Amino acid sequence: MSSLRHIRGLFRQFVNNSCSIKQDRVLSNSNYSSHGNFIVPSRGVQIYKGSGKDWLPTLHVAVTGAAGQIAYSLLPRIANGEMLGEDQPIVLHLLEVPQALSKLEGVVMELQDCAFPLVQGIVATDDLRKGFADVSVALLVGAKPRSQGMERKDLLSSNANIFAEQGKALNEVAANDLRVFVVGNPANTNALICAANAPRFNPERFMSMTRLDQNRTQYMLAEKAGCKIPEVDRVIVWGNHSSTQYPDITHARIKGESARKVINDEKWIREVMIPKVQQRGAEVIKARGASSAASAAAAVVDHMRDYWHGAGDRWCSVGIPSDGTYGIDEGLWYSVPVMCPGGHYRRILNLPIEEFSASMMEKSRKELVEERDAVRHLIPKEFGEKMYTAKKNAVTGAGKKAASK
Amino acid sequence: MAETRLFPDRPINVCVTGAAGQIAYSLLPLIAGGKVFGRHQPVSLRLLEIEAALPSLEGVVMELEDCAFPLLHSVFITSDAREAFRSCDVAVLLGAFPRKQGMERKDLLEKNAGIFKEQGEALNFEAAANVRVIVVGNPANTNAYVLKHFAPNVPEKNITALTRLDQNRAVSLVARKLGVPLSKVSDIYIWGNHSSTQYPDVLHGSVEGKGKLSDLLDKSYLEENFIPTIQKRGAAVIAARKMSSAMSAANAVCDHLHDWLLGSDSIVSMSVASDGSYGIERGTIFSFPLRCSRGGNYEIVKELQLDDFSQRYIKITAEELYAEKAEALALLS
Repeated sequence: MSSLRHIRGLFRQFVNNSCSIKQDRVLSNSNYSSHGNFIVPSRGVQIYKGSGKDWLPTLHVAVTGAAGQIAYSLLPRIANGEMLGEDQPIVLHLLEVPQALSKLEGVVMELQDCAFPLVQGIVATDDLRKGFADVSVALLVGAKPRSQGMERKDLLSSNANIFAEQGKALNEVAANDLRVFVVGNPANTNALICAANAPRFNPERFMSMTRLDQNRTQYMLAEKAGCKIPEVDRVIVWGNHSSTQYPDITHARIKGESARKVINDEKWIREVMIPKVQQRGAEVIKARGASSAASAAAAVVDHMRDYWHGAGDRWCSVGIPSDGTYGIDEGLWYSVPVMCPGGHYRRILNLPIEEFSASMMEKSRKELVEERDAVRHLIPKEFGEKMYTAKKNAVTGAGKKAASK
Repeated sequence: MAETRLFPDRPINVCVTGAAGQIAYSLLPLIAGGKVFGRHQPVSLRLLEIEAALPSLEGVVMELEDCAFPLLHSVFITSDAREAFRSCDVAVLLGAFPRKQGMERKDLLEKNAGIFKEQGEALNFEAAANVRVIVVGNPANTNAYVLKHFAPNVPEKNITALTRLDQNRAVSLVARKLGVPLSKVSDIYIWGNHSSTQYPDVLHGSVEGKGKLSDLLDKSYLEENFIPTIQKRGAAVIAARKMSSAMSAANAVCDHLHDWLLGSDSIVSMSVASDGSYGIERGTIFSFPLRCSRGGNYEIVKELQLDDFSQRYIKITAEELYAEKAEALALLS
């Protein structure tokens, strides 16, 4: 039970750190020299007291893949206050690969032309240590896409290298209250690698996205039932953000009633809904001729807004390090349902899992284990031991005691 | 304080043309997400595209669905302008022939006059009595003028064109130049045409706690640097991105519509039908400084002092607009 106290201590420490969001932080007006990078601060970084707007202290928000499609849809919705709040001034840190820096310049120009009052400065660079300096929120959107003829294991290992480097840089320069949200695929395993290479931070701060799949499932249910989107809740997406994801509506509700009872069509769920959600990305590419940037960006905004401000009693799905519950290996980044009280997430535990669900969840678990094993060489030995020791004897205890209402 | 909706008992009907294009892709999530018309106001979208772009538009609709926006009541797509404008409360006319690198705006005039005649006629017939229109597709002012000409049932005051993008660019540039927060810069106006003859006027502006812009920025800087930079910013973005400015244009449309319909404490710039103020020919779609009050009403700010410096620029842009107007009408007769 001493390990249980240890976990509670970790969580309390974590919560205390998260309160540092509201404390004043004086940020140095450091001079970055630019070697082919460019920094565009508006008069360094300042705390604007007495602007008459009751603003919080400035936060640094980093976005990788900043010249890409998802970032183009995402950045204005961060900068206009939709994600972190209309009273939260930010400095945007835009990270790209060297080849994309000139394109990034165009993005910076447009962000300037939006005249967002909340944006106190823009840092645009290919240098990870400059890009992640003092960052409290890191949205890791950029990843290496699959090229023709590329094997899945090559895709895994080249991305793992990228995310290992990003983890190391974050470890060195990011702010103490760092949260990381990984979007670039393979998102779950990239989040694992990143966390493993950033030992300063509690791995729970690293999340991977399945909110897009959750939103898609919610829409499909609403359409099938002929009801409004807010009338559908408790949709869950389990597992890997890949074709093995499991969109689960066994606990979902439509206007408070069991969704399964309302729809009354198990066949539709298994043969139409689930494959459709799993393949929706490809469907959008076929229609638009381009991948789903706007809806991916919307999912990032939705998740981070819920996570940051709290989501009441709504259930949100997100890829987080498993604590051993639901039969998922500890330390795998696996999407599960959580509630968001504000500032962090709280796992929803002890949900009854039916046979069909269990088999779907197992498929995804197996895939994630394979992915992890393929990039094991990039996971520092100390990380594995630390994660597993802390949680080892406390799983059942934590599970029973932490069960949410 | 409860925020009352613009339309308390129904969704607002918003028509967007050019809906599969770049600006729409950035704008539609802002509309459907509640950023434009209010956090509690449901929205019904009516999306118009040319026939060839309908499959792509279906992909856009898929993405809107996948966003699970609580405020998005319905989405309707069509290639028929009349269907699109049916009962619409707000029409956002993004669709026009897009500007490519090296293309002059006058080349656009010819291609677009026909489009806006047709849309004017459709609006005239189908839209709600008090429809508010914003024309974005360039040449925006003259396209709006053509539209107005063919939509006599729509109150002249309700037809506007976008210069908020230029206003935002000007405010941002001043803030960067002076090293002050954006929120402290006020009263920068755009006069005239949304083109390289626009006049970004800082001479009525000020920075909170620092003083008047007419003292802080000297006229040689304005003439040689500031004004040309703003006038040519669109081209500069195209050169950097190899594409037109979608994100910042969409953001400006959002600002324009929000302030127009929900009202604003600050003076804003929009291109509207001149009532003769400042010597501008009546009926010309010309960008003025305006005060907007909730419900979609505005008043041109009158009796601003315009010195010789300003009047010189205003004359140039007015004459360009008169020429475009005449050319457009000639093309259509």
